[in-house]
Amino acid sequence: MAETLLDIAMMHSDSLIARAREGDKNAQGKLVQLWYKRIYNFSYKFFFDHDLAMEVSQKTFISMHKNLAGLHEVTRFKSWLYTIAVNYCREETRKKKVSRSFSLHDLNPGEGEESYRWEESHHRNENPERQLRHSELSDLLQSCLMQLSQEQREVVIMKEYEGLKFREIAEALNISENTVKSRMYYGLDGLKKILEQKKITKETIGYEL
Amino acid sequence: MNYKPDESTLIAYLYGELNEKETKKLEAYFLQHPEELVKLRGLDEVREVMSHAQDKEVIAPPVFVDDAGTRPLWHSSYFRVSMGIAASILFLLVAGKILGPEIKYSNGELRISFGNKAEHPLPSAGLTEDKVNELISSSLAKNNESLESARTEDQKKLMQTVADFNSKKMNELTKTASQASQEQVRSFVSSLQEQNLKLMKDYFQLSTADQKKYMESLLVSFSGYLQEQRKQDLQYVQNQMNSLEKNNNQFKQETEQILTSLISSPAKKKNNY
Repeated sequence: MAETLLDIAMMHSDSLIARAREGDKNAQGKLVQLWYKRIYNFSYKFFFDHDLAMEVSQKTFISMHKNLAGLHEVTRFKSWLYTIAVNYCREETRKKKVSRSFSLHDLNPGEGEESYRWEESHHRNENPERQLRHSELSDLLQSCLMQLSQEQREVVIMKEYEGLKFREIAEALNISENTVKSRMYYGLDGLKKILEQKKITKETIGYEL
Repeated sequence: MNYKPDESTLIAYLYGELNEKETKKLEAYFLQHPEELVKLRGLDEVREVMSHAQDKEVIAPPVFVDDAGTRPLWHSSYFRVSMGIAASILFLLVAGKILGPEIKYSNGELRISFGNKAEHPLPSAGLTEDKVNELISSSLAKNNESLESARTEDQKKLMQTVADFNSKKMNELTKTASQASQEQVRSFVSSLQEQNLKLMKDYFQLSTADQKKYMESLLVSFSGYLQEQRKQDLQYVQNQMNSLEKNNNQFKQETEQILTSLISSPAKKKNNY
């Protein structure tokens, strides 16, 4: 319900964006509150790394704060914001390739109650064991996503998890819609093969959960 | 029918973003190619599976609103600059009021002054360059004249004192020379001779005493030497006499021994034969 309200707020945030663009600091703050979770999750799915996702999110909103006055069309705010996020994701990928560092989350999380995800799952109201399974499945699917090429991963995340239209993705990535759709097709096809290799199907997931 | 949808069309159909005409066309294609529809449904299944990847919960960090736009007026650089200029002008005004400045421009001369004007006696009007030259030359001539007269006067005085001193000295000398008689000269010469004689005497006396002393010491040392030599000679003679006596005794003993042997040896020889 809360997410739905948040989505509604995001959908009707044109006036908020307009005020923020005119220098209303309060409106800018509200924009950050509205969009932070989305940009963080986009970055997290891109890297499968909390620290890098936090880094990119912070840089994205700092950049938004500095450059919002230069945004000509309010309706393009969403694609504009994702353009900034994607650019920072690519920048961090380049840095990561150079430094070859890895996150502690890359380490083996362990099994069952020994897993740090068990600790994380305790915060939820749901059954912790069920939540843990959800978390483990998320990580498994996330690892499948990480096997895609960067270009396909960007498009799949934007479409499947961020709900951007193909036009918006094309604007964000500065490519044609057909290219976006083509990358989407091959991305899903690639995921299908990866899931088959790992024997992950709709049925097995239903059984696990 | 050669229609074959590309990937973008299939994806648009999958996400329901294909227009009606294209949709019908594609569905007709699927009737003829059901394996393509199965493949597309497989992609749809992938979407469904992938939708189980959950969002991570994250708390947006607090936003620190930069209050640069709402800075008070007195913090702006324009305000500070203008206030600085105003303060400078005020300072100049107050200083001007206290010091009483006067700015005057006349005959190509700009004069800025503070306070009361200093009173300087003005030079008398009507002095021309020639007059000034004349005054200077007359003053110089007067000065030269006075210097010349002072110099000649001093020279005269100096010459007079030198002449007086010389004549006085000469007079004294001639006076003393004329006063000295022949006897006095003789007595002076004789005293001089006496002095010389005495000096010679002393010298000879002193030198003979030294020579005597030297000769005495020489004789003493020579007699000592002779004494020593004699002593040594006596010692030598004594030694020689002793050795002679010794040799003599030895010779005597040897002779005695030979004699005794000679006396005793004929008997022995006889016995041997």
